[in-house]
Amino acid sequence: MTGFRLQLGGRVDRSRTVTFSFDGVRYQGFAGDTLASALLANGVSLFGRSFKYHRPRGLLAAGSEEPNALVSVTRGPGRFTPNLRATGVEIYEGLEAVSQNRWPSLKTDLGAVNDRLGMFLPAGFYNKTFMWPRSFWDKLYEPAIRKMAGLGDAPTEEDPDHYAATYAHCDLLIVGAGPAGIEAALEACGTDKRVVLIDEQDELGGGALSDPAQWAWLADSVARLEQAGNVTLLTRTTAFGYYHDNFIGAVERLTDHMTQPGEGAREKLWRIRAGEVVLAQGAIERPLVFAGNDVPGVMLASAARTYLHRHGVAVGKSVALMAAHDSGWHDAFAHARAGVKVAAIIDVRSEVDGALRVEAAALGITVHLGSSVIGVNGRHRVNGIEVCVGGRGAATRIACDTLLMAGGWTPSVHLWSHSKGSLAWRDDIGAYVPDKPNENVRCVGACSGKWDFGKGQVIDMLPTPRSPARIKAFVDFQNDVTAKDIKLAVREGFRSIEHIKRYTTNGMATDQGKTSNLNGLQIASQALGRPVVDVGLTTFRPPYTPQTFGALAGHAKDALFQPLRKSPIDGWAEANGAVFELVAQWRRARYFPRGRESMLAAVNRECRAVRSAVGMFDASTLGKIEVVGPDAAEFLNRMYTNPWKGLEPGRCRYGLLLKEDGFITDDGVSARLAPDRFHLTTTTGGAARVLNMMEDYLQTEWPDLNVWLTSTTEQWAVIAVQGPLARGVIAPLVEGIDLSPDAFPHMAVREGTICGVPTRLFRVSFTGELGFEINVPAAYGRAVWEAIHAAGKPFGIVPYGTEAMHVLRAEKGFIIVGQDTDGTVTPDDAGLGWAVGKKKPDFVGKRSLARPDIVAAGRKQLVGLLTDDPAEVLEEGAQIVADPNQAVPMTMIGHVTSSYWSEALGRSIALAVVAGGRGRMGEALFVPMPGRAIRATVSGMVFHDAEGARLNV
Amino acid sequence: MSDLLLRNEPDCAGFAGEGAGVAIRLAEPMARYSLRARDAQVLEDLIGLAVPRAIGATLGDMACLGPDGWLLCASVGTVLPSGSDLPVAITDVSERAVRLLVEGPRAGEVLMAGCPIDLDRFAVGRATRTVFETVEIVVWRLRDDAFAVEVWRSFAPWLRLALVHAAG
Repeated sequence: MTGFRLQLGGRVDRSRTVTFSFDGVRYQGFAGDTLASALLANGVSLFGRSFKYHRPRGLLAAGSEEPNALVSVTRGPGRFTPNLRATGVEIYEGLEAVSQNRWPSLKTDLGAVNDRLGMFLPAGFYNKTFMWPRSFWDKLYEPAIRKMAGLGDAPTEEDPDHYAATYAHCDLLIVGAGPAGIEAALEACGTDKRVVLIDEQDELGGGALSDPAQWAWLADSVARLEQAGNVTLLTRTTAFGYYHDNFIGAVERLTDHMTQPGEGAREKLWRIRAGEVVLAQGAIERPLVFAGNDVPGVMLASAARTYLHRHGVAVGKSVALMAAHDSGWHDAFAHARAGVKVAAIIDVRSEVDGALRVEAAALGITVHLGSSVIGVNGRHRVNGIEVCVGGRGAATRIACDTLLMAGGWTPSVHLWSHSKGSLAWRDDIGAYVPDKPNENVRCVGACSGKWDFGKGQVIDMLPTPRSPARIKAFVDFQNDVTAKDIKLAVREGFRSIEHIKRYTTNGMATDQGKTSNLNGLQIASQALGRPVVDVGLTTFRPPYTPQTFGALAGHAKDALFQPLRKSPIDGWAEANGAVFELVAQWRRARYFPRGRESMLAAVNRECRAVRSAVGMFDASTLGKIEVVGPDAAEFLNRMYTNPWKGLEPGRCRYGLLLKEDGFITDDGVSARLAPDRFHLTTTTGGAARVLNMMEDYLQTEWPDLNVWLTSTTEQWAVIAVQGPLARGVIAPLVEGIDLSPDAFPHMAVREGTICGVPTRLFRVSFTGELGFEINVPAAYGRAVWEAIHAAGKPFGIVPYGTEAMHVLRAEKGFIIVGQDTDGTVTPDDAGLGWAVGKKKPDFVGKRSLARPDIVAAGRKQLVGLLTDDPAEVLEEGAQIVADPNQAVPMTMIGHVTSSYWSEALGRSIALAVVAGGRGRMGEALFVPMPGRAIRATVSGMVFHDAEGARLNV
Repeated sequence: MSDLLLRNEPDCAGFAGEGAGVAIRLAEPMARYSLRARDAQVLEDLIGLAVPRAIGATLGDMACLGPDGWLLCASVGTVLPSGSDLPVAITDVSERAVRLLVEGPRAGEVLMAGCPIDLDRFAVGRATRTVFETVEIVVWRLRDDAFAVEVWRSFAPWLRLALVHAAG
């Protein structure tokens, strides 16, 4: 035996040597090794430092339940993954792994002083100690505690990998490819069922991989599954969550085990809808609770057998077993037969099956029945154990370098519990097993509590003559919770396991208490003197094991993060140097700078053009809904605040939409095209929300109305041509519509053609100037835009963006819902009382407008605000006070909602909501800013052309 | 519609990766109508076309997408009556959506990267409104290895990129 690698045995490929490093030291292992097995083979026993006490820790397990051996793997910039279980990291050539939570090194960790101070760090210590002063928490306590207690470092660089995702459907999904899972899959072989079999390990087999007697069966079975046309096999795939209606989330790891990951996706998220689910997740061996059970070299007996048989690695040169269950005996025998010295078998039971004793004798193994380990010698590695009979009397020292624990088995009921299946307690195995299903699911094999590992005794803690207050007997290895912490919680009055868990953090680490929950429960049950079922059971939540954010994000990254919607005219704007802004998912041209023009200069130029000549604006992103049917007018009359039934075809009306609470939620100009057909517009950001709201009312409140809603937002490109010269620009292009003011007045709509393309031509204005909004089928939007731009050149036409649009509308006191309103503004607050139909019997939100607090005096009202200094442009969102000399915190009476430089007025303008605003006309208010307070006067909201003369030309 | 002016389509370059098993391209323009009616018979009488009655079924160019909703995707130039005064709603949505054709042996698999319905069991000739991740689409199975995906114009470039990503 060289090191700890056995001469023979294991499923590793001894012809393929793999070189890797751990904490900068180079080691060699074989293809098929995990980082854990390869380091064990090299005699490494120290894998990490514990969370709270910084105690040296080795391997406890061989699978995904491992709580101690968490490592970070780095493979180049941005590819740093912390908190991986060494038992699940497959080694590849050049793998670089490092240990965590230690400084300056794993062997010499200054944080280990916490271990000496352990007596002063009981459960709840941090909560009790670092409470005062409160202000110290954010700056001092929390950062310091986080630095000391912790897992690996969070990655700081952008992840260069990409991730795949898919949905999948199957008739039968089997989770876990141990013997029970494979049997379930074999039963479905050759049927017409679509079967998916998933397993978290790199090969199928589960527990059978650690049992050479089953390898022939396994090879044959896997071959049959591979040949069956109806079975999809997913290895390296973890089913992490079980959701409603047999929907299972799973992550397949595609490249982490490869020397050259290549260009493919790193992981793939499988979202599987299954007809039936078979859970074959197996069972996890339970540690025993005694002083020193966390010293490196103390591990689960079944894990040792996995390293022995699957990896050909001996976990030690002299191995002892502390058992409360028969299965550990068989694991010890396996070691003896492989030539590993078994120093002793200690069993807490006074009597065991005679066959076990016979076999132990045959293998020359000393047996101590009715005894327990009461201490473990060694710091970085076991060098001996202390054993005494019945928890009393003198201790005997037994020299060994490894101690196996066999505390019985815990069925893995995690996914079963996610599915809300009920659990039943079984006293004989001291565990919860699946009871009544809540989905079409069944459990098979060890996770259902059926196993042939033998019998055992359920025990909360090994008997010891030592004071329970003086020993550290670990229950939760990852969160450093000891038996005495749980007893302390009980003494402090906690009765439910849900509370005990939160107080001690037992089972709340990243391993979700896979090895600790039931021991914690047993200890609490004993301390409380009540049966386990009365103490309760903690909840299991997804994910079963930690998953990367990348896997959950799937494709949703970079350009695919979310759709970037572009209008049909966006390409022209881009080619003409537009600066864009995002509005909901849309990108819109904000302004069109010429050369090195600043935003302010560009916006001023654009505004001047609209006021003095003509401008053009892409309004395609406005939401549009076609409302059609005999009851269309009735429907709109019920939705909007103002009357709609009397609107004549060919005319437009401003519509104001409230929510049930009476507050403004959207607005827009809508046109009646025919008695039973309306063309509604909504705000850009509100399109989907308004359609949903209207559908909601239509389907649930008024299903009797013969009217239907169709989103036409994307059917139409919309070009606003605004300015005193607008008519002259479009006149030569329009056919079939008389554009003269008498025939086509303000707030009218006509259908005809423009540039030969059918158009719904609106005469409306959001600028206060003569204006048209030209709707054309989206595919022609850009061509019509270009034609208008060309036709407008002699008139000095200027394309303008959303910023100029904002300024122009603010000069006219037109509100923008969502900017000048915030979901608490009524029509009256916004100065839109005129848009509420006083005679209407009802409309959405009407009754709320009569609520006492809605009609009370002193509500915040939208008003204009003019700074004393005309050059001062207030900040949007700035707070407003009546007296700037009050003590801080001042009484704030409102805030600025819109604020711009107005080129037309040659001064700044602002809109603001101010308490009792309309009663304060001419009053001076103040906007406190750092170091000063800006004085401003309350004014009306319409700053430009108050009589509207410019519209009617 | 004027032939003097150029149509402008969303940026959806065709994709047919080497050995990808799937090709994605933008279909030619179509006439599209959203049809709503309380009584399918009234609709049939009005437009003179048989309409499928079962949700998810198609008949010729017409798909039944809901209890009172149909989508007609026909050749350019198809014009339907407006249905004035009848309890129906007929709306021209020809330019609201574009059609991506997803073809090849991996077509269904590529769509299922982001579409939660079981396309393995989605018969040829069926159509349904569904989503691809967060984007609403209508999937119409044209052949065993060909799907038409109707998607609103501004979402098309994103959907095309997502499908190409899934194919790659």
